[in-house]
Amino acid sequence: MTGRPIIEIENLSHTYMKGTPMEHVALKGANLYAEEGECIAIIGHTGSGKSTLIQHFNGLMRPESGKVIIDGEDLSKKKVDLKTLRQKVGLVFQNPEDQIFEKLIGDDIAYGPFKLGLPIKEVRERVKWAMDVVGLDFEEIKDRQTFALSGGQKRKVALAGILALKPKILVLDEPTAGLDPKSRKELLDKIKRLNKDEKLTVVFVSHNMEEVAMLADRVYVMAGGTDVLTGTPKEIFTDKEKLQHHQIGTPETVQVLYKLTDLGYQVNTEAFSVLEAAEEIMKVLAGKKEGSEHVQRI
Amino acid sequence: MSSEFEISRSITIGQYVPTGSFIHRLDPRIKLLVFVILVVAIAFNTSYFGNAIGLVLSLYLFWASKIPISYGLSGVKPAIPFIVILAVLQLLFQGQLFSDGRVYVDYGFVLITSESIRLVVVSAVRFIEIIFLSSVLTLSTSTTELTHSIQSLLSPLKKIKFPVHEISLITTIAIRFVPTFAIEMEKMMKAQASRGADFGTGGWWRIVQRTKEMFPIIIPLFNIALSRAEDLILAMESRCYTPGGERSSYSVYKAIAKDYLVLLVGLFFSLLLLFYPFPF
Repeated sequence: MTGRPIIEIENLSHTYMKGTPMEHVALKGANLYAEEGECIAIIGHTGSGKSTLIQHFNGLMRPESGKVIIDGEDLSKKKVDLKTLRQKVGLVFQNPEDQIFEKLIGDDIAYGPFKLGLPIKEVRERVKWAMDVVGLDFEEIKDRQTFALSGGQKRKVALAGILALKPKILVLDEPTAGLDPKSRKELLDKIKRLNKDEKLTVVFVSHNMEEVAMLADRVYVMAGGTDVLTGTPKEIFTDKEKLQHHQIGTPETVQVLYKLTDLGYQVNTEAFSVLEAAEEIMKVLAGKKEGSEHVQRI
Repeated sequence: MSSEFEISRSITIGQYVPTGSFIHRLDPRIKLLVFVILVVAIAFNTSYFGNAIGLVLSLYLFWASKIPISYGLSGVKPAIPFIVILAVLQLLFQGQLFSDGRVYVDYGFVLITSESIRLVVVSAVRFIEIIFLSSVLTLSTSTTELTHSIQSLLSPLKKIKFPVHEISLITTIAIRFVPTFAIEMEKMMKAQASRGADFGTGGWWRIVQRTKEMFPIIIPLFNIALSRAEDLILAMESRCYTPGGERSSYSVYKAIAKDYLVLLVGLFFSLLLLFYPFPF
């Protein structure tokens, strides 16, 4: 990638409840770098500082020490135009369906654009566009009651509420947690489309390695409040030693391929996408068949 | 730089700071009892000297329980507006009731005497003392201990069919969920700020606007509270909770010599504050 840098975080630290007995260091010298149009995954165990890190992207948290530059704007300055920043960086929290508060779906999605002070016509267009992107039918759904929706649909509405701000960077905290497999797949497809077609820079936190393998251009591994490992999914998931050292899970495909190598089969462990892995397994199966026939013949 | 949304930090109710001090290890029933009699005594004492004793005592308790005084101060901070308003009102309108002593100002309905000034100062200090004392109590006693002791202190009332167990259960749940909702509220404020909401921007006189600004937080919080309550009911019922059922307790308290000693000291201070004729 040779794009323009859009997120530059250097040596960022943050301590919660500073100066009390409950003091807790959440970030300690964390770094993150993203270029325009990239899709970045952040993985790491609970308490590794992922959520604290992403809250720095749109100024919910201000850098205590270290540097945060978003789209060229230095957030460690005293005066930052938070409104513009939050429009630029759309942050979708965990379980975003909790934040829906209006009675009608259309009104809830329109909340953000109205807060930006846009004229009603523009708001309407944005709501329509956002609902379109997440796959909700504007005419049919906009006047429905929010509480009558299913979990997956609610999450789509919440996502649309953020997209209606037309952000340049979309940040998602465990976007698929608690969704059923079907809604999970739908949502991932939407995120992928936003990244590829609408050229949004996407940063997402995930515990699901299949998602990471499928979506991310690059992966940051967080541990103990700092980034310990970074690289493409391929680089991360094929580095067996480091994976074990940081106790990072791998996609199931990688696990299967590693098991096969352990059993003495010649497979390419870098082939971790489902299709490639399937091909590798087919090869092993074919080889086995040939081999056993060979034995029989002798 | 602390975040504008760090509200769970300023909520000290239901927070327990385990330092393992002498105060922490007291029998919670005795602790609660001493707290109650001290608060009553402080509430009735109107002398400068008596309240100075109360203030020193409550500060000493912070030291004895090894809890940083900053915790107590952060409890006082949100109360400052009330203290100030109360003080101003008392200063302007209570003079007629406390017209003894030297008269400083007598202008229309405003009458400021040495006695009414005493009232203002003493009530402010008293307020702070009570906040300090209750901070020490809640910071050094876990909520389970606290509710168990409420239940055991109120248990004589069972004879007159007072629902002691139910009341203590309700208080436990209420206190237990204060920090939880503070965290939820923080999350909700951040989530709504992320889509352009702003809180408390208009002047304080624009009450309607400021109330409207809170809707995006209050409504989801109600939703969350209700669904949490439902979960809690299910969790309790699946563990065979029956209202009105006879229950045994996991922890049984037994007061020992040092607890009685603390009770005696507490009684001494209370009686001193209540009945000793302080010179000023």
